[in-house]
Amino acid sequence: MVIKVENLVKRYGDLIALDHFNVEVQEGEILGLLGPNGSGKTTAINCILSLLKYDKGSIEIFGRPMSPSAYDIKRNIGIIMQNVAVFEELTVYENIDYFCGLYVTDKSHRKMLVDEAIDFVGLNDFRKFYPKKLSGGLLRRLNIACGIAHKPKLIILDEPTVAVDPQSRNNILEGILKLNKDGSTVVYTSHYMEEVEHICSRIVIMDKGKTIASGTNDELKSMIKSGEKITIEIFNFNAKILSDLKNMKNIVSCEFADNHLIVKSMRGENNLMVLLEYLKSNNIAFGKIYSEPPTLNDVFLEITGKELRD
Amino acid sequence: MFSHIFLYKLKSIVRDRNLMFWTLMFPILLSVLFWMAFSNLTKGEAFRDIKIAVINDAAYKENANFDKALSYVSADNKDRLFNVTYTTMDSAKKLLKDGQIEGYIYFNNGLNLTVKNSGINESIIKEFLDYYVQTSSTASTIITENPSAIYGSLAKDLTQKVQYLKEVPAGNANPDTVVAYFYTLIAMTCLYGSFWGQKEVSDIQANQSYVGARVNVAPTHKLKVFSISMLAAITVQLIEIFALLLFLIFVLKINFGSQIGYIVLTCFVGTLTGVTFGALISAIVTKKEGIKIAIIIGGSMIMSFLSGMMYAGIKTIISRNLPALSYINPANLIADSFYSLYYYSGHEHYFINTLLLCAFTLLFSFLTYIILRRQKYASI
Ligand SMILES: Nc1ncnc2c1ncn2[C@@H]1O[C@H](COP(=O)(O)OP(=O)(O)O)[C@@H](O)[C@H]1O
Ligand SMILES: [Mg+2]
Repeated sequence: MVIKVENLVKRYGDLIALDHFNVEVQEGEILGLLGPNGSGKTTAINCILSLLKYDKGSIEIFGRPMSPSAYDIKRNIGIIMQNVAVFEELTVYENIDYFCGLYVTDKSHRKMLVDEAIDFVGLNDFRKFYPKKLSGGLLRRLNIACGIAHKPKLIILDEPTVAVDPQSRNNILEGILKLNKDGSTVVYTSHYMEEVEHICSRIVIMDKGKTIASGTNDELKSMIKSGEKITIEIFNFNAKILSDLKNMKNIVSCEFADNHLIVKSMRGENNLMVLLEYLKSNNIAFGKIYSEPPTLNDVFLEITGKELRD
Repeated sequence: MFSHIFLYKLKSIVRDRNLMFWTLMFPILLSVLFWMAFSNLTKGEAFRDIKIAVINDAAYKENANFDKALSYVSADNKDRLFNVTYTTMDSAKKLLKDGQIEGYIYFNNGLNLTVKNSGINESIIKEFLDYYVQTSSTASTIITENPSAIYGSLAKDLTQKVQYLKEVPAGNANPDTVVAYFYTLIAMTCLYGSFWGQKEVSDIQANQSYVGARVNVAPTHKLKVFSISMLAAITVQLIEIFALLLFLIFVLKINFGSQIGYIVLTCFVGTLTGVTFGALISAIVTKKEGIKIAIIIGGSMIMSFLSGMMYAGIKTIISRNLPALSYINPANLIADSFYSLYYYSGHEHYFINTLLLCAFTLLFSFLTYIILRRQKYASI
């Protein structure tokens, strides 16, 4: 077990930011902490890192209790905070070297590590740049390099892709996968479900400071009633179609807008087939058809009654 | 570890243009402004000769000795005292009325001088005439043969006197007051070391800066990083203070007297007080940087004002009516240390000030330590 958090409670005055929050992180996995803004992801990370005082609960990392002076634990953690934390007056190289130097004292070893980190995030052309001269995406990459240069066993990233261009975003996500493949355990928080679905081997969904569901992508999706979402382009629509469909079994909801019929089905096979047979037998002409499997948003929606995206 | 943090901190401090301006350029600019305001006369625009007229009538021509003396001090060289117009009584009167000359000299039963105002220039003319009258009876031969023997030193004396009189600002001030303004300027610069202390605390506190959070999660004690950073900050501030001191002494030629060793010691202790003061403010006020900077600038200005930076008299007023305030105002303690070197022959007063500054430094450091020692934050 890399991280074990039990019954963590954190209050800010009257606001309960973490309400008996539990999470376990296994060695070698990429754990996704998914939740809307304000659900308590950053608070949880800061408590885990012993930055924040908390009211209740226990936190263990690498099997030992975490504390501000647990330097042997801290030495093996790499943190990428949600805000870029670099010195304006130091260049890309100097920033990475400075922070790496708080972990690694041997100078020549450190030089190698810093060079590798710069290579890793693709900032080779920007070594001598000051942070002010970097675009948002490159700045995020520098932030990541500062956090991982010392090759930590556990890497914690808090929303590392906020306000990042698509190219840097891909670079970051691929990088995380590579770090994991090279042996690091990763905790990744985000409110983008696509990212979490894409890279995480296990996902914990948070809302209002609590864990509301956890499991692999497939496990989470199989927890809920709704199955795929089918969208069909229909040119001569009439109201009877809607009422007919609503009466069919396995259909959760259907609506029509902008020439498109959107049908949400229950989990199970052959839902699309049944639908197509209905259209065919009633001689209803249709154009394009899309079928999408359920998303984590559907999972979130079904458990909390609200959308994940804001 | 030490040199790693120390060198990077030095780099990032020296590259902080904003704070380098306030802690180095601003005091130097201010000192130049003080210097321009207090010393109208400098090498470049030395004493200007005084325009006078002489009534060139028969009576004047009889006094060839005076003519020799006058032509010596009005000869066109660097010691020239007078720019003389030889003319008639009527036109001299008119020149005086129009302000073209400061006065005119004529012989009528001896030497006579008519002036319009009374001022430095007028008294210079008078002094010259008195001097002539005094010396001419005893030394007329020397004057005739070698005017420079007598008037060479007179002209120099008078020129210096004018410069001396003009350097003193209006009122009853004396030249020491000018130096005192520079004392308070140095005191202010020491206190501006607060900027660096402020920065180092905010860079170490996770609830004040993002880099602070990074340091707090690293496997190095935050107070270790902080102490090394403060050393770097103090180093830079000391270099800046001594740069200012050298500028004042060698470029502006301010005379700080002979006890330069003590002055350096005061700058050293004052810098420590300034940097630790800023650290304490920053540790207590966890608000935005702008607010902290405002407090530091405001605080340093008020303290410098109370020690006499804008108006020298305030220092006396306070030491008469509120003596306690002059002992708890670090700016005043610094300025007063310099002051006491100048005024008192013993060093007792100086050491009291220095010890008080040390006490403040220790107090500020201790309180800062109490606050920074906490390793977890209630809120970030
Ligand atoms: N320093 C703070 N003081 C008071 N409330 C806070 C503070 N930081 C966060 N919160 C509140 O705690 C809740 C969780 O915040 P956060 O952990 O930042 O969420 P997330 O990272 O998931 O967006 C939010 O309601 C937020 O408003
Ligand atoms: Mg957050």
